[in-house]
Amino acid sequence: MAITVKTMPRPETESSYVRATLKGMALTFRHLLAPKWTMQYPEQTSAPDWKLSPRWRGTHRMAVDEAGKAKCVACGLCPQVCPANCIKLIPGEDEKGNRYPLVYEIDEFRCVFCGYCQEVCPEEAIHVGVHYENAEYSRDAFVYDLERLMRQPHPVSTLWDPSDPKGE
Amino acid sequence: MSDLVKLTIEGHEVEAPAGTSILEAAKLVGILIPHYCYHPALPVAGSCRMCLVEVEKSPKPQPACATPITPGMVVRVASDVARAARRAVLEFLLINHPLDCPICDQAGECELQDYTHEEGRAAGRYADYPKRYNPVEDFGPDVLYVPNRCILCTRCVRFMENVAQEPTLNVSERGDRARIGVFPGAALDHPWAGNVVDLCPVGSLLSKDFLNKARVWDLDKTASVCGGCTQGCNITLETRDNAVVRVKPRPNMAVNRWFICDEGRLGYAWLNRADRIEAPLVREGGRLVPVEWEVALARAAELVGAGDGPAVGLVSPGASCEALEAAARVLAARGEGSAGAFRVRQGPERPLAGVPDLALRAERAPNVAGALAAGFGRDWDAAVARARAAGLVLVLDESLAGLAEPVTDGALLYIGTVLPETARGAVVILPCTNVAEEEGSFVNLRGLRQRYAQARTPPGMARPAAWILDAILAALPARAARAGGRA
Repeated sequence: MAITVKTMPRPETESSYVRATLKGMALTFRHLLAPKWTMQYPEQTSAPDWKLSPRWRGTHRMAVDEAGKAKCVACGLCPQVCPANCIKLIPGEDEKGNRYPLVYEIDEFRCVFCGYCQEVCPEEAIHVGVHYENAEYSRDAFVYDLERLMRQPHPVSTLWDPSDPKGE
Repeated sequence: MSDLVKLTIEGHEVEAPAGTSILEAAKLVGILIPHYCYHPALPVAGSCRMCLVEVEKSPKPQPACATPITPGMVVRVASDVARAARRAVLEFLLINHPLDCPICDQAGECELQDYTHEEGRAAGRYADYPKRYNPVEDFGPDVLYVPNRCILCTRCVRFMENVAQEPTLNVSERGDRARIGVFPGAALDHPWAGNVVDLCPVGSLLSKDFLNKARVWDLDKTASVCGGCTQGCNITLETRDNAVVRVKPRPNMAVNRWFICDEGRLGYAWLNRADRIEAPLVREGGRLVPVEWEVALARAAELVGAGDGPAVGLVSPGASCEALEAAARVLAARGEGSAGAFRVRQGPERPLAGVPDLALRAERAPNVAGALAAGFGRDWDAAVARARAAGLVLVLDESLAGLAEPVTDGALLYIGTVLPETARGAVVILPCTNVAEEEGSFVNLRGLRQRYAQARTPPGMARPAAWILDAILAALPARAARAGGRA
């Protein structure tokens, strides 16, 4: 059975595209001359009036002491407080009898970036970082081990505003 | 029973025998008065002052552990007076206590931490003064002493003096320099010395074995029974990531009170052995081939059901009652004349002097009474001699160490956790679980049958020996018909 197509008769002024095209082009040309708002990422990552908040919570970083060793004493509070259960910690003992993390791994895929680990840490060792560019070639690489966490160069989060620590 | 005394604790009417302390009477109505130096196993010292409670008509707060109850006494535990007293005690204790909970093994089960969290001050007032510092001392084979954390409750001193009855520890120096010391020339090497670690309410006395190994809140705790000797001490197996990392005593007034010996405490490494049999093995040709359980059980049942002559059982007194009873049933099904025997490792008996009928027994296996009750004898050498000519030898978790190879000229059915060289000639090898991986029961030397629970998952395909033996029994080809055919 043949399909019948119903054609709606319209006046020429309504069915022509010329008018709509001209309208669109006018908008485009107006923006060519207007001031530009787009940031040229990745060449540019911040602007004078826009930068990442110092309280941004991104991928972790482990603080190191003067000797270049991790500050972590493997107290076990961060795996305990972690709501996503993404921190794996096995405590050990070094040759001087000091407690240190034998294994310390954070699964950044599982992490919800709540920052509780930084807040609970009594040694100010683990931090969430002011950092958002995370790309890897494999999923495994998102499980950060202790060395990786110590190598991270990005600044760490302040979690709260120093001028207003109680958030009032 | 002596006269009952009526008193009121926190508004609860309590009736307790005369001579009971307020602290024990409060426990009867479910009120735990905070305390450090008091322990039901030890004589009362009354030195920590933590258990101060308000007693009506008494001019000052009274120590609940050292005040006997009197008729009509009205005790308040949570009143302002009592709370203020305990708060002050906590503040004194914390003046020199280091803030090292993050690296302290006791954190999480520390009474100082708990009570400070409950009713202590949020911040100290002695921030301007340096804290007293003393280096860590080595007290003995398994005990480390951290003097900075010590609150001088003297539980450890009293344990060694009154329970172990071998005074080794003392309070050295006086005043704020006081610390726990070891007598010159002595060491804390009593076979029950490890209990001071459990008694210590803070992280001052530490087990070297458990040092920095795990956080206590990560541990899964399972009620179990110690397999070290015939005493049958109740223990808690503490596991992390499917490995036993610590053994703690579980109070049982009828068996071990609050204590276990060091051999039981530290002898848990074998529970985590990695060289376990993980699959049933069946001999095919000259080789042992791993097979499914159905195949292995059918082959085992064939071995038991077929063949002539009585079987000999070589069993371990470390197996559960259930497994031993099932093994006895399998031997009985084999026919008349089948019998089994076990041997027990011997060691010196180490009593804990202050507790009646508690010792590390000479017979170092948990279920000797259970094996005897199941019908196994102590005539090990005779059984080994009979095994040589027997048609079938059933081995249940026995190491066969020291036996000449081959154990038998007949068929060897080996059920065990690990595979010793001597058992490699077996026809069927079935992997079974150890005491931490199954539920079962042991009978101790006083005839008390005690259950233990499963603490970790068994490796590979291993199954409890009792299941295996019952499955063999169920699969036996027409037992009744065989018996009828003989008649």
